[in-house]
Amino acid sequence: MALSRRRLIRSSAASALALAMPHVARAAETTLKVVWMGWPDNQVLPLMAEFEKRNPAIKLAVERMPFTQVFQALEVRLNARTSDPDVYIVDSPLTASYAARGHLMELDALIDQSRFAPSAISAASYDGKIYSAPFGTSMQVLYFNRALFKAAGVEPPSSAIAGRWTWEQVLDAGRRIAKPAENLWGFTFEQQERPYQLLPLGQSLGGVALSPDGFKATGFIDGPAFVEGFSFMQKLYTEAKISPPGQFDTALTPELFGSGKCAMLLGGTFINDTLRAKFAELDFGVAPHPYFAKGKPVTPTGAWHFGVNPRSTRKEAVAQFVRDMLSDDINVLWFKLRPYVPTLNAVWQREAATFSTDMWRIVQAEMQSTALARPATPGFREYEDILRVTLRDMQAGGNVKDMLAAAAQKIDREIAKYKG
Amino acid sequence: MKASALAIARHLALVLVATILLLPVYWLIMSAFRPADDIFRYAGEFGLATLLPRRLTLENFHQIFAGTFPRALFNSLFVCTATVTLGVLVNSMAGFAFAVFDFPFRRALFIIVLLSFMMPFESIVIPLYTLVRTLHWTDTYAALILPEVAGGLIIFLFRQFFAGIPREIYEAARVDGASWWQIYWQMTLPLSGPTIATASLMMFIHQWDAFFWPLVATSSADLAVVQVAIARNMTLEQANWGALFASASTAVIVAAVPFFILQRSYVRVVAVQADK
Amino acid sequence: MHARRWIPYAFLAPAFIGLVIFRFTPICLALSGSFFGQSIRGASIFVGLKNYAELIGDPSFWSTVSTTLIFNLIINPFQVVCALALAMLVRRPTKLVDVFRAAFLLPMTVSIALTSILWSILLDPTLGPVNGFLRFAGLPPQPFFRSAGEALPTLILVATWKGAGYWMVFLLAGLLAIPKELDESASIDGANAWQRFFGVTLPLMRRPLAFVLVADTAANFLLFAPVYIVTNGGPNDATHLLMFEAYQSAFAFLNQGRSLAISTIILVIILAIALVELRLFRSDDGSAA
Repeated sequence: MALSRRRLIRSSAASALALAMPHVARAAETTLKVVWMGWPDNQVLPLMAEFEKRNPAIKLAVERMPFTQVFQALEVRLNARTSDPDVYIVDSPLTASYAARGHLMELDALIDQSRFAPSAISAASYDGKIYSAPFGTSMQVLYFNRALFKAAGVEPPSSAIAGRWTWEQVLDAGRRIAKPAENLWGFTFEQQERPYQLLPLGQSLGGVALSPDGFKATGFIDGPAFVEGFSFMQKLYTEAKISPPGQFDTALTPELFGSGKCAMLLGGTFINDTLRAKFAELDFGVAPHPYFAKGKPVTPTGAWHFGVNPRSTRKEAVAQFVRDMLSDDINVLWFKLRPYVPTLNAVWQREAATFSTDMWRIVQAEMQSTALARPATPGFREYEDILRVTLRDMQAGGNVKDMLAAAAQKIDREIAKYKG
Repeated sequence: MKASALAIARHLALVLVATILLLPVYWLIMSAFRPADDIFRYAGEFGLATLLPRRLTLENFHQIFAGTFPRALFNSLFVCTATVTLGVLVNSMAGFAFAVFDFPFRRALFIIVLLSFMMPFESIVIPLYTLVRTLHWTDTYAALILPEVAGGLIIFLFRQFFAGIPREIYEAARVDGASWWQIYWQMTLPLSGPTIATASLMMFIHQWDAFFWPLVATSSADLAVVQVAIARNMTLEQANWGALFASASTAVIVAAVPFFILQRSYVRVVAVQADK
Repeated sequence: MHARRWIPYAFLAPAFIGLVIFRFTPICLALSGSFFGQSIRGASIFVGLKNYAELIGDPSFWSTVSTTLIFNLIINPFQVVCALALAMLVRRPTKLVDVFRAAFLLPMTVSIALTSILWSILLDPTLGPVNGFLRFAGLPPQPFFRSAGEALPTLILVATWKGAGYWMVFLLAGLLAIPKELDESASIDGANAWQRFFGVTLPLMRRPLAFVLVADTAANFLLFAPVYIVTNGGPNDATHLLMFEAYQSAFAFLNQGRSLAISTIILVIILAIALVELRLFRSDDGSAA
């Protein structure tokens, strides 16, 4: 019996369809909703495009929120406890806060801890589990204006780790260079009020910023080490007058340094690029973070992680996102787009050529020996906001011990709600 | 003699006030035309360089117009226009009701109107977001426009104005057989040029300034509004001052256009009215 | 006026649908939310008046209330007077009056967030052009927002810089609606400028003034952006206003119940003051309120 042509066509069409079906099913797209930081287009889009290239079945709907309101907008979204967003940007010290409130998914199965810097893993952990994925960290270095040092006849700091300056040396140099009446200053912090920047002052003297369980500030932040450290900070504004008070906009302090109005700036690695791009004629050098002579060097660290919404309905796509975003290649790409201090060991190795400058050598050394992440506590927002106001108010004077004690009490009261 | 002394004093006052009000805006716009490293270079001292740029450039504007800023401008203009159009109609109708009629619960309903603009937005943003989500309006123009159409303050504004129109006009029209809708549409509204203009300006500026709600309620880049686009130029580690000032200046200039248009038209209308 | 029963409600309906859905419902939810606390996992727990009791027992809450009341007691009349003065200045058509009117309006086009950023740069103690000018003029540079003594007055001035032109628009509309003949006949009758102002102009400005005062009161009690962006409530709580405290409670201290309780208190205060203001401006036929 010969098959009629029609039957042949029909049956081959059917089998072709049958063969095609699994492909069609697999190619159905998932879209992941991602809330990201409002970094410039040219730093975010290539990253996301690279992920989509590797994962054609997953589309990324990326929302870039401005830094000024990203946390608040995230709070509104997360508070609604929906499956939206699938993935979101996490400021590393907020990991504990989001995790305690049930907004982050455990990532232990997806992250190989040995690939990362230890301080990054500790910042990503809460209650013994990993809740956020490290995506970049930070380090502070001391920028100094060679021309101003020369004009005042002061020997500038050295770029070698071994020649690290003490705070006393910074104060002394600042005094000799600063002329406040002429709007010329000796030293400024990049972030004059943030605990991120200022906790190392007390930590350098052996202070511990918060109880290890993360729930008690009294007895820790108001202890003698921080009283001494912050009193020194206060002196920079009140007695010695080598720092310009009231500079709370972190985007303005580099302008101050770049336009030659301040001899020393303790700030992050991005300032290097800002200075080279905007102030080409500035003759500046980079030195390690200062420490107290009778204590030990401590540097601040921590920056951006990302986390997964436990209520997300696209678990597989999300797992793929985590895996790919933490891959060596994509991390190297991210570093090239926006040079945060790498958390992935592989990036240090692969980009070794870039890291041969003064600044990067300092950064690498600090990451290995002096970097200390901020205290881990579910109440970090409360801790930071209360301490920030206190640090701000200290600039104008006032009894440092009393101010810290009052802040500690307020912190304890607010953090208490996370205990239950 | 006294008259001219008064006139001189008046002119001096005008110039002084105009200077105080305009100088900061001038500094903002002028800084946008400066290369990024010059913006703060001359700020700490005062000299000619502070007010007149040594070097002029359009690079900041090139940068923002090459990106997503034009889309944000369009979005905001669209949202503002839609809000104003719907809002003038809806709110003037309500203001008309309060001003002209006596009806049960009038006082209580008016207090609800007042209450609606006295509650901090941050405290209602979470329930509002949940509500908009339930309506499946997240990430749509509807979410940006519709919640802002009915406004207690605008109703209050219209009501104040309408209450000043003599009732006799309405009585005469009613005797002539006019329906209330005809009275509202053909008599009251045409008399309300300046109030419609001010209401439009208020709603326009309110939507033009919108920042937190659009951030919460919409996600896709296509729906970004102008204030969000401007704010994106500030990141923690760096601020793109040039782009920030350029986008802020553009937003100010674009917003100023409806102001000038509306301002001149209502003055003409009122001047004609007052001469009647 | 006489009308069929449903007519007024028909006019009200579109606006009220919008208000009920998008304002009234969330406001009621917020008001009732002030009687609840939240567990850290998001479960709501009824706590009755606990949030309010805690506020009342908190001395820093009372100092925030007093700072807010002082701020408003000064800024509201100040802004209305400035707006009225500006409106009077540009009332009479002279040459260039169009230009001046437009100039006064320009600050309105700068959003409050941008205004805050702009002024925080202009008044910066080190990099700000204003201090640059003071130094140039031989005067000592001022800390402005960075000193506990100057911060609140600076805040009032910056808010007025933005607001005066805004409120002027309404008052100008009111002024321009006053027929010229009234003023002219008063002046023929021998009244001088002050008498004309208080006797003719002001009484006819009752409704616009009532509107501006109430709206401005609400706006100033709800003022938030400059405090958040520039001063963070400081220095030393000098600018720690109730609205900022409500915001901090929600977004920094993650205490929704407390934040909603403060918002409710703000609402009640504004409403009470607004009703008083409306009564003050009530004209003889009782129609301002």
